[in-house]
Amino acid sequence: MYDFFAAFSVLELVLFSSWYDFAAVRWPTLRGRRRLGAMKSPLICEGTGEPTKVCAVAIRTNQEGDYASLVVSGSFDLAHAKQVAQAVEKVEEGLSRCRSIDIDLVHLERIDGTGAILLARLLDRLDVEGRNTRVANNQNPEAARLIALYRERRTEHMRPKPSGRNPAARVGAFASEMFGGGTVALDFIGRCAASLPKVIASPKSVDWRSLPRLIQEIGADALLVTSAANLLVGVIIGFLGVSQLGRFGAVAFVPELVVVAHFRELGPLVTAIVVAGRSGAGLASEIATMKVTEEIDALRSLGFDPVRWLVVPRCLALVVTVPLLTWVGDLLALVGGLAATTAITNMTFHAYLQATLDDVTASNLFAGLIKSPFLALAIGLVASGQGLLTHGGAAAVGDRTTTAVVQAIFCVIVISAVFTFFFALIGV
Amino acid sequence: MPRSKHHIIVEELRIGWGTKVLIEHVTFNVERGTVFTILGGSGCGKSTLLRYLIGLEKPQAGRINIAEVGEPHHYEGMPPFGVLFQSGGLFSSMTLAENLALPLAAWTPIRGQTMRKLIQAKLDLVGLGSFADHLPGEISGGMKKRAGIARALMLDANLLFFDEPSAGLDPISAVELDQLILTLSQDLGITVVIVTHELSSIFLVADDCILLDKQTRGIVAQGDPRKLRDESRIPFVHNFLTRSSPNGGANHGG
Repeated sequence: MYDFFAAFSVLELVLFSSWYDFAAVRWPTLRGRRRLGAMKSPLICEGTGEPTKVCAVAIRTNQEGDYASLVVSGSFDLAHAKQVAQAVEKVEEGLSRCRSIDIDLVHLERIDGTGAILLARLLDRLDVEGRNTRVANNQNPEAARLIALYRERRTEHMRPKPSGRNPAARVGAFASEMFGGGTVALDFIGRCAASLPKVIASPKSVDWRSLPRLIQEIGADALLVTSAANLLVGVIIGFLGVSQLGRFGAVAFVPELVVVAHFRELGPLVTAIVVAGRSGAGLASEIATMKVTEEIDALRSLGFDPVRWLVVPRCLALVVTVPLLTWVGDLLALVGGLAATTAITNMTFHAYLQATLDDVTASNLFAGLIKSPFLALAIGLVASGQGLLTHGGAAAVGDRTTTAVVQAIFCVIVISAVFTFFFALIGV
Repeated sequence: MPRSKHHIIVEELRIGWGTKVLIEHVTFNVERGTVFTILGGSGCGKSTLLRYLIGLEKPQAGRINIAEVGEPHHYEGMPPFGVLFQSGGLFSSMTLAENLALPLAAWTPIRGQTMRKLIQAKLDLVGLGSFADHLPGEISGGMKKRAGIARALMLDANLLFFDEPSAGLDPISAVELDQLILTLSQDLGITVVIVTHELSSIFLVADDCILLDKQTRGIVAQGDPRKLRDESRIPFVHNFLTRSSPNGGANHGG
């Protein structure tokens, strides 16, 4: 665990040092080169103390009553960051009774931004705790200035270490965020619903030109993958049916199992999940990218409502294409079931086909297909909503896309379950 | 009825996110036909203030009133002003010509040959006449900025908002842009509100300015930028407008 925190400290220091590269390079220009004196490089100060062959890192404490002098020696640089962090932590533990602390830099072999940050933060922490600290800068003014630079340019406020988060507070924060997310979702759904009358009143407020492209991307381009998924699900149901029903000599019911299971439940579900993963991610990342590149703001400044311009055509394209993909998927699942069953049983092709045709009823077909537009709408709303909520840069686009896919798949499953429950209630 | 002298009136504006306040007690007026600049250090809220002025956000408190428009966040309909965003804000799936055609197609009956002529003229104005069929991804950042300016000019609004228009432009294009802004303001009487850091541009084109400060979360100075540079006794204002370091560093002009 200790190593983990030390490694984390090193990472933090590397990040701080990259800022220092800027500060150190600018500094000579701003202050005049003479003030830097013997500084050999903007990044590294060579100490004026006695040179040693081995640059071991050490902080020696000379303590007298409540006064301590910290004699720093060795290489306080990026290459020795882990040792420096450990030395600083160790010496800090032994200073609990000291009221006045000096740091002596005379034996310092090397120091760079990393070492200076560690010493600066040690001094900051000691100051916050009410100790008097002082850097003896007359022997090594360059190193003292380097440490002072990081102390001057600190914006974060040093606070005592937190004693651990209150579990009740964490539960409260989680609940608050959860309800906050629900409010945002309801607000977005409300905006979409309110935009529908405006779409009818002003059809040119919708980007109809993008509709063919969207139907191509969401429908035609996804046909192969949704078809393959449905075909394989048909094969799986066929194999499963043969292995389970075959034990009771009921292989003749496998075609009915394939039709009922796939048409009513798995066809719409599998198709919607594949579309949510494929097109949902695409739509969310497209809108999220538009948000971070100010395209959405530009759209609003030109008098367009992003919901009408962007969300309506995307939802419409999904509502049109997902039922078609589901229908094609249903047919291919029958083929998969047929192939699996006839391959491992004595049932003939004609017998399977006849049994299937007997079971393909309007009730089975439409109980599944009627779900598809709702599942498609959920995918469109979730993907578009998450895209429009994006704030920040490229990382935010990735986060929102992931969230959109997860939420879309979850919504698809929930809506499918609600339909199944409803159909069971009304006896369809 | 005579038109009001003030094009934009901002009173006691407070902006921020949630309970966080970014800047407050912001009060200023923008006169018609002038070039008004919003200045300040990085992260002080200049571009955010612009978002409120163009109605993308609702203020936490206070009031923004644009003449003939009212409160911008309540306004619906044909945009009463043109906006250039920091990154250009061009639609990446459309060519430059299609980007420029969008506001015309949505809000005017202009179509066909007339529309093409108008688009070509606006692109020629910003030096992009031969790039009409290019996608935004195929041109440089500075060219995107110029295309964004051309789109902001498409509806010939009498109020323009530019967010860092000179950033990313080569010196010659930047000077040409300054000349264009002066022409728009002085010859056509268009009010231009600019968020910028470019001191040379500010002193050349700006009639009036406000200077925002992150520390005080508000306006620290307002007026003619040249007067502020020469007469202001506030160290931050002086350092900002003379490009000096608060630690007494070198002055690099401006």
